[in-house]
Amino acid sequence: MTTEPPPSSEADLVARLKVGDEAAAHEFFDRYAARIRRFIVSSLGAETDADDLLQDTFIALADALPFFRGDSSLFTFACAIAHRKVLSFVRTKARRARLMRAAPIAVEVPPPDSDANPEFRRALAELRPEYREVLILKYVEEIGVTEIAATLRLSEHAIESRLARARKAIRKSLGEQR
Amino acid sequence: MIADATESEFKAKIKSAVGPAGAVDNRALRSAFTARLRQVAARPDVVPIQLDGRRVEVRRGATILSAAMKNGVRLMHVCGARTLCATCRVVVEAGEDNLTPMRGTERFSLRWHLSMSPRTRLACQARVNGPVEVESVFPLCGELPNG
Repeated sequence: MTTEPPPSSEADLVARLKVGDEAAAHEFFDRYAARIRRFIVSSLGAETDADDLLQDTFIALADALPFFRGDSSLFTFACAIAHRKVLSFVRTKARRARLMRAAPIAVEVPPPDSDANPEFRRALAELRPEYREVLILKYVEEIGVTEIAATLRLSEHAIESRLARARKAIRKSLGEQR
Repeated sequence: MIADATESEFKAKIKSAVGPAGAVDNRALRSAFTARLRQVAARPDVVPIQLDGRRVEVRRGATILSAAMKNGVRLMHVCGARTLCATCRVVVEAGEDNLTPMRGTERFSLRWHLSMSPRTRLACQARVNGPVEVESVFPLCGELPNG
């Protein structure tokens, strides 16, 4: 019977990643890929294209990891890269849509599986991506405002303000449905 | 109603709405990530940068302009990389900390050409110490519209 090695500390993992250690790369992938994908889906507002962006993010991450200085957590560092990939993708898509005179980018509402609170889920799905993104980072990933600000390259005040607006938008959306 | 919900209730609702992260079973991506990581670790003096969405590899310490020219990205540089014309200016989308700090001549040139954004740099002056993503401000040579 094989036993799984214990998870390494973040500093140890970073050091091993920097020298291109295969086991560390697998550990990093297994530990963070799903969470990074969830962040991409929340930023994008849709499942479509999330896998392509995940791939872009991981390749950019491999390029950037040797230069990671440890100013933030690895996950935040990865989210910052994913955020830029999503932004760049959305800009390109919007530009293309403008050129084609197409409709604005549609937001997919996730299917109501396992639903304890479908109204809340819908309200969250209908939020503007930048609002949903901060809510996910704050409440699901439990990252502090300072670190979210560094990830999204905004001031702490801007993040607080986005969080307040996001909560207000959800409240409004739920109120309108009643 | 959320208005009455406490912070922890709100958090619980979001968590339940978003659901668990699940798992990403993508062996191809995992292998590609590992291979790229090894490749990057094997060449510490090579820095990958992104120029107008195109990934190029440059020697650490090279200017963005020389990296661009060597890789066939024809950034304009009317003055011959002497900080005078600012036609090589680029917007740094990411990784500004991985560029050498701006010197007086570069700052003066950018101000002179009314470029006030802190994210704008002259490609002929900014040297690369780590991954960056830049977009050229002017069209590349040969990409100007005809007529």
